[in-house]
Amino acid sequence: MTTLTFFLLASLLLLAMGLAGLITRRTLVGMLISVELMLNGAGLSIVAAYKSVPAADGVLGQLAALFVMGLAAAEATLVLAMILVAQRRFGKVTVRDISILR
Amino acid sequence: MQQEASNIASTLLEYIARPLRALQEWLSPYLPGDEWAAYLAFAVYVLVILAGGFGAILSRNLIRAMLGLVLTFLGVAGMFLLLASPFLAFMQLLIYVGAVCVLIFFAVMLTQNTDGGEESRLPSLASLGYGALAFLAPLAVAGPLIVMYAGRVPVETPQPEGTGLLGAGLLSSYVLPFELISIILLVAMAGAVYLAFRGFNPKRGGQNQ
Repeated sequence: MTTLTFFLLASLLLLAMGLAGLITRRTLVGMLISVELMLNGAGLSIVAAYKSVPAADGVLGQLAALFVMGLAAAEATLVLAMILVAQRRFGKVTVRDISILR
Repeated sequence: MQQEASNIASTLLEYIARPLRALQEWLSPYLPGDEWAAYLAFAVYVLVILAGGFGAILSRNLIRAMLGLVLTFLGVAGMFLLLASPFLAFMQLLIYVGAVCVLIFFAVMLTQNTDGGEESRLPSLASLGYGALAFLAPLAVAGPLIVMYAGRVPVETPQPEGTGLLGAGLLSSYVLPFELISIILLVAMAGAVYLAFRGFNPKRGGQNQ
């Protein structure tokens, strides 16, 4: 059990919570919140691994986590637009009602 | 005058530091090495992450869920500080708390599910069961793997390498990922604007569709 183990377990906890939220939430907004939780856990695990292992380049780890953050921001923007479209078309954003493709 | 001020400041700091040092001496036999403060901070951050995360996934009010998400982000920012990456911690606050949470808030405001909506009822028992399964499955699969294998890797205490190196890396070795993420952000924003404004007719008083 090293410090790396603790940090990886914390990020695993974030992943598990995000996954549980993704299953139980009924609306797109709640699912977006859960996905952000999971992405945050991914960034944390990347930084923990790169900063703890001596052979790894800490700069690369931090930059990778920054890219994950950028992707999360882009994803949140797109999901907001999708939520707007779904709200306009279906009048609600519950996943049960958004089931037709066209 | 300045001398007096600094004297007062150091006296005040002494008042804060003395009980902490006493606490350290009292606890030191039970704690691993001199790193007890880091472990304490880690425990606090884990508690903050747990509280915020469960608030985010269980709260029946989406605004409260978003506040739980903010709490989780703060905890992860603290973990970045523990990992000697202060720049990432501030970026976490800027991007996630500053931008993503505002986006989520907009999403909550622009839809009609804040109060008395679909999210305000408890999920069905089957859904809760699936949720518990989804919570336990990653822990059961990856948890033992992490405990078994991550402990074997020799680790060092994370050292800060300076924010300047990050900028140098972005402009030299990793310039291609940097440009790619810029393009992705641009495309995502263009797509979001296109999706939001499709069918928007200014002649009909800005009515959509």
